[in-house]
Amino acid sequence: MANEKNFSVCYSDKLKRLPPYLFGAIDILKKAAYDKKLDVIDLGMGNPDLSTPKHIIERLCDTLGNHPRSHRYPQAKGMPKFRKTVAQWCKNRFDIELDPENEVLALIGSKEGIAHLCMAYLDSGDIALAPNPAYPVHFNGILLAGGTVYDLPLLPENNYLPDLGKIPEEIAIKAKLMFLNYPNNPTTAVVDNLDFFKEVVSFAKKYNIIVCHDNAYSELCFDDYNAPSFLQVPGAKEIGIEFFSFSKTYNMAGWRLGFVVGNAEILRPLEKLKSYLDYGVFTAIQLAGVCALKDSQECVKETVKIYQKRRDIMVKGLNKLGWQVKNPKATMYLWVALPEKYKHLSSLQFAELLIEKTGIAVAPGAGFGTYGDAYVRIALITHNNRFHDALLRLKKFLK
Amino acid sequence: MLQKETKEKLNFSYARRLEQLPGYLFVEIDRKKKELIKQGVDIINLGIGDPDQPTFPHIVEAMKKALGNSQYHHYPMGTGLEQFRQVSACWYKERFGVEINFAKEIYTLIGSKEGIGHFPLAFINPGDVVLIPEPAYPVYTSSTIFAGGTPYYLPLLEKNNFLPDFSSIPQAIREKAKLLFLNYPNNPTAAVADKRFFEEVVRFADKNEIIVVHDAAYSEIYFEEEKPLSFLEVEGAKEVGVEFHSLSKTYNMTGWRIGFVVGNEKLIKGLSRIKDNLDSGVFDCIQVAGMSALEESQEAVEKIRQLYKRRRDVLVEGLIDLGWQVKMPQATFYVWTKVPDGSSSAQCATKLLEEAGIICTPGKGFGPSGEGYVRFALTVEEDRLKQSLDRISKVSF
Ligand SMILES: Cc1ncc(COP(=O)(O)O)c(C=O)c1O
Ligand SMILES: Cc1ncc(COP(=O)(O)O)c(C=O)c1O
Repeated sequence: MANEKNFSVCYSDKLKRLPPYLFGAIDILKKAAYDKKLDVIDLGMGNPDLSTPKHIIERLCDTLGNHPRSHRYPQAKGMPKFRKTVAQWCKNRFDIELDPENEVLALIGSKEGIAHLCMAYLDSGDIALAPNPAYPVHFNGILLAGGTVYDLPLLPENNYLPDLGKIPEEIAIKAKLMFLNYPNNPTTAVVDNLDFFKEVVSFAKKYNIIVCHDNAYSELCFDDYNAPSFLQVPGAKEIGIEFFSFSKTYNMAGWRLGFVVGNAEILRPLEKLKSYLDYGVFTAIQLAGVCALKDSQECVKETVKIYQKRRDIMVKGLNKLGWQVKNPKATMYLWVALPEKYKHLSSLQFAELLIEKTGIAVAPGAGFGTYGDAYVRIALITHNNRFHDALLRLKKFLK
Repeated sequence: MLQKETKEKLNFSYARRLEQLPGYLFVEIDRKKKELIKQGVDIINLGIGDPDQPTFPHIVEAMKKALGNSQYHHYPMGTGLEQFRQVSACWYKERFGVEINFAKEIYTLIGSKEGIGHFPLAFINPGDVVLIPEPAYPVYTSSTIFAGGTPYYLPLLEKNNFLPDFSSIPQAIREKAKLLFLNYPNNPTAAVADKRFFEEVVRFADKNEIIVVHDAAYSEIYFEEEKPLSFLEVEGAKEVGVEFHSLSKTYNMTGWRIGFVVGNEKLIKGLSRIKDNLDSGVFDCIQVAGMSALEESQEAVEKIRQLYKRRRDVLVEGLIDLGWQVKMPQATFYVWTKVPDGSSSAQCATKLLEEAGIICTPGKGFGPSGEGYVRFALTVEEDRLKQSLDRISKVSF
């Protein structure tokens, strides 16, 4: 009797507000292609294919084997040694001063930090400013917290920087948070100097807005470019925080380690919220992170070299095929407008067509927001010699 | 001047969900403890539920080996490795006799705390009522508040064997209730639930359309022939609920952050959609270590049970000798005892801390019905427990 009745499960409004997961459509096609035993070249995901440097792995093994205290619940905000090392790294890398006690927080990857920060600040109806296109957690984090997203369009004519002057006064007054991300995913845009960040600081101060700068790609810079920290701008620490990740820099995406630094007042509720939701990062992994930041950074140079080589192959190759693409100064992506011939398609339609015809998976720009719909994102993530293969297939496709 | 101006202008007001939280009890105790440690007092910490023994060596070895596979260095799948889910489902079948479809009815967690903490976000709207036992692990309340829900507390009383009394819940509350938290073996009362109780839970949930969330973090820390049950062993349970499991206590893996949730497919799907936007799952190497924990010989777990059992006997018998009113717990590594002199739980805890250098947890921190009790955790060596008894005997209650 009890079993006959259909117990109904109803999802919360927060969950229902999330936009459909566009990459899901690509995943399905990818799976279909794999099932048909097709040779798929997956340039869709931002999942580094390289391995974590050996010395970092060795440090983890050493901690696990020799320091059983590391097996117990960690210190949720990060162990003092981790926070000190982060502060020192920021000092060396950007010449910014941080108090390790109050201005550094360890994260289980920067993703959770970004999402939980939204929960710490946003009530239902609160406005937060997010770039469009963007790393999806920037807008979905806002939505899950019950907040309202106000789009900051990233347009090529503006070098993919938001035009702060276009934000209506009443929105600026109401907005509580603003997300930014340079080097940018997905557009690969960078800031050439601190001018834009300075503008952001005075805007944020004027309107009492917390700035969250996502610097996940700070170390994946090519040629002579060196990405700055938002906190290098005088006054930035009064209104802002900055997220960093080990995922890309040290090929540690799987390890789930990141950190956020900046204004202590801003970080406090995040730490508090997290203390009710998790127990922090495995101590042994924090110590591996300490090793990553402290030891030689040769491994980072190696990683950058590999991405740069892939970038060169692909940018040159695509341009030769007549598919115009700019040379990115950072990140591990190419952001390319749909080819002339396919301009009438949506980015999802194009991505679907591409995988069907060529077995190449890319990320449809619409997955990052409406302003991404005329683009696809190509991740420079597969074995080096697969890129030539991809170009051959594209040559046929574009003919 | 400038600073004042900025201070006035920049007001980083927190989300309401943070303002509504009750104080976090472990943080408070930590602060006091730190103070005393600074003064050089030798503290015996019976306050925190963190096993003192290292993770079993074969698990550590499995992790080290997994690190050699660079496939495992990449972003994990949110839901967890297929093999991890398979192994967990097998473990579940073996331990509880319940079939779990590893493709749909199981999801890997960064420890059960985050799973429990995020679960209500998928189902609770502002105004929905969540039924929460008290005294209880504080995360049921905080996760309810984070999702905008309203807690309705179900007292766990000794006269009811620390099981909630559903018949006392008013009809109006039943109608608004969307979710019910339960936790057996229970933290902090150390109570266990029998099959009849779980059957009642299923009937109650089914009739009132309430989602059941059973937290089974201590399912493997037991001392009797009869092992603690899984909620899902009861007919119809999988239609109404999920159960959270943790590798933390069973395998001394609290630091590793790994657990899983099993049960109703749609409920798990809801949680997964939330988590897709919040995190990227558990490090694959840790999942491989978790597989080794669940799949290989469980002898080390039996040893751990024996260890806690010896400690339990020492502490409980000792306390009884000192005139405390305390029952032998059948599960968990906690001892839940009445305060000897009828004073408040906070007074007792403060007295033990100041006069004996012992940290325990005042029962009231787990909820109003915890008043008059304190909780001791059996997470220190036997001789430290003996030492504790010695010190307690000198405290005048
Ligand atoms: C802009 C941006 N921020 C954050 C992240 C998440 O990184 P983590 O692995 O530290 O969670 C990514 C990952 O793709 C990203 O592209
Ligand atoms: C009842 C209860 N549930 C869940 C947990 C969390 O365990 P985990 O380490 O899996 O997050 C604890 C930890 O103390 C607990 O006591």
